[in-house]
Amino acid sequence: MAQRNLEKQLNILDYALSSLWRRRLKSLSVLLVFAAVIFLLASFQMVTKALSDKAREVLVHTPEITLQKMSVGRQEAIPLAYRDRLAGIFGIRRVVPRIWGYYFDEVRLANYTVMGMAVEEMPDGARLDTALASGTMPGPAGQGLVAIGQSIKKALALEGRTTFSLFRPDLSLKAFEVSGEFSPDTDILTNDLVVMNLADARDLFAIPAGLVTDLCVYVANPQEIDTIAKKISETMPSVRVLTRPQIQKTYQVVFGWRSGFGSICLLTALAAFVILAWDKASGLSPEERREIAILKVLGWQTSDILVVRFWESVIVSGLACVVGMTAAYIHVVYFAASLFRPVLMGWSVLRPDLHLLPRLAAGDILLTLAFTVIPYLAATVIPAWRSATVPADSALGG
Amino acid sequence: MFLNPWSLALSLCSLIVLVLGAVAGRTAVRVLRFWEPGSDSNRQIRLENAIWLSSTLIAYGLGFQIITLILFVLAADEFCQVIVGAMCATGALLANPYGMPALLIKLVGVFFYGFWILLHQLDIRSEQYPLVRLKYLTLLLLLPLLLLDVSLQTLYIAGIKPDIITSCCAVVFGESNGGGSNLLSGYSQQGLLLAFAGSIVSLAALGLGLGLSRRWRPWLAGLYAAGWLWFFGLSLVVITTVISSYVYAMPYHKCPFCLLKPEYYYFGFALYGTLIPATFFGVSAAFAGLVRGRPGLAGVVARYQRLAVRLSLILLGIFSGLSFYHYLKYLVSGGEG
Repeated sequence: MAQRNLEKQLNILDYALSSLWRRRLKSLSVLLVFAAVIFLLASFQMVTKALSDKAREVLVHTPEITLQKMSVGRQEAIPLAYRDRLAGIFGIRRVVPRIWGYYFDEVRLANYTVMGMAVEEMPDGARLDTALASGTMPGPAGQGLVAIGQSIKKALALEGRTTFSLFRPDLSLKAFEVSGEFSPDTDILTNDLVVMNLADARDLFAIPAGLVTDLCVYVANPQEIDTIAKKISETMPSVRVLTRPQIQKTYQVVFGWRSGFGSICLLTALAAFVILAWDKASGLSPEERREIAILKVLGWQTSDILVVRFWESVIVSGLACVVGMTAAYIHVVYFAASLFRPVLMGWSVLRPDLHLLPRLAAGDILLTLAFTVIPYLAATVIPAWRSATVPADSALGG
Repeated sequence: MFLNPWSLALSLCSLIVLVLGAVAGRTAVRVLRFWEPGSDSNRQIRLENAIWLSSTLIAYGLGFQIITLILFVLAADEFCQVIVGAMCATGALLANPYGMPALLIKLVGVFFYGFWILLHQLDIRSEQYPLVRLKYLTLLLLLPLLLLDVSLQTLYIAGIKPDIITSCCAVVFGESNGGGSNLLSGYSQQGLLLAFAGSIVSLAALGLGLGLSRRWRPWLAGLYAAGWLWFFGLSLVVITTVISSYVYAMPYHKCPFCLLKPEYYYFGFALYGTLIPATFFGVSAAFAGLVRGRPGLAGVVARYQRLAVRLSLILLGIFSGLSFYHYLKYLVSGGEG
């Protein structure tokens, strides 16, 4: 019995294929539009996935806890003396001060990210050299030395020179010498970055001695992050305490939100397609009516014709999925998702070259299928039934 | 948290299933009011056409519900990344009181839609359509279940706030140490495994007895069905408390959902994908027996019952093989029992 059933399904599949081929123009137009819709939705999902993976990967290297002083609801410089107040809290491995800000280059109309840090004090400070394509990180002694990212090198048009100058707030010039250059592999982090030592950053931004922008707290045991964060915020109520897991979750929420928002926008495209599919499936031509009537006369039952229509829908959506998802993958991997990048990424003049590699889990494919194939199948089922219940005599007898 | 692709996909699918269900429900009402098997009036012919539509719609609905069930678990797994303190689907599902009930209703729903389709398949095998009224009455009863399913899911998604602290599965299913949030504990592993193995053996014996005996014994089929229901519940407990930690190779990681992740080669899909259909077939053999007396159904039902018992036995074999695989591998490679 199972053998016969399988045989029957195969024959019906055969018939469905030939029937699609007979109406190839109609089938092809539906297929192409469907593939386009799947392409849009799938590439949106793949970019989100790849970007949130990238964010997670990058955030692994951030300090466990970051402290910022808040005043009037805004961030302001934090005194170095606050470090002493943290001394009593067990579990803190090290507290490293940092000056971190943006420098707006009025000549080139671009923002640079400037970071002044005490590299020698950071737990993994020595390993920072591995991020450099050439040279060394600026140490505490090297006055005026900086490590720069790829875009900065391009923006300043250095081309072999190693010196450049930036303006202090009072418009006097401060000279810098390039001691190292970040490798393009870390572009997502270092593309627009200028790293110098604390003293130089303080000089450039004219920050009074004894103040920095934030304090990075390194915690020995990651299990204790929340407890230590709580203790810090109890000791210093005016300080904003950011923990790494919190930042990670926030990124996930933001990417999820943006992707959801994008999906809602794309739902309009989906709705339009569903209406198209419904319309194409319901408009029965006289030939189709005659075909069904002949099948009925030959002994086909309503259920058989429904199965044919089901297979037709499955074939069309399967092909559309393969085409749409492959195109989406190519779009994301080889064209760096150029269509959607502005929506998902922040706005910036110096944009890093992104190499996105979406991780395709079975769940994500299922998600795309749920978004596209299920509405399509649902849209074609009622028209399929309408066509399947054409009475045998109506088309032939008249 | 509706603005997330997973929530959107779930809501979209549920909406579609609801629409399909509503259309089928409309047919059901008409059939219940106007069905006259003997008549050849225009209305009766229209109704006979309409029952094809409703059965196809419910079949689609079942397929979509199975997909949403998987989507729901995967979505919960995805949500855990934004819920503080949750590390896998367990934490995400416990984030508010609607998560677990929604999952449960979805699971129960899959069984009920399956039973309905079975009823329909049996019905159309007989020329008199003897089950039409029963079929459409039960269809109308399915609709509230569908509605409950969708509302629970919507409440669950609406209730997810990305800043609530919930437990990770290490706390919920792990060894109890004073914490009050333990779902499953207090069972001894050895006892559970013995009960599990014993149930497999007795189910297999019952099934073989049922399949090999010439006469169909309804009480035996009833026992078999009850055995399957018991085994289904027991299996879920055993998977959570014993089998899962052998799959993860971590004694304290006991979670029924992480099994579905790619890290464990989607092992959970094989496990649940055999357990659920096996239970369905095991129970449905007795279930089909209830309509055996209707005109024109005796032969059809008998054939189905034999097939269902055979299928449930095959799936039981596969399921027990899968569930003991990691445990035996652990023992063979030198672990302590």
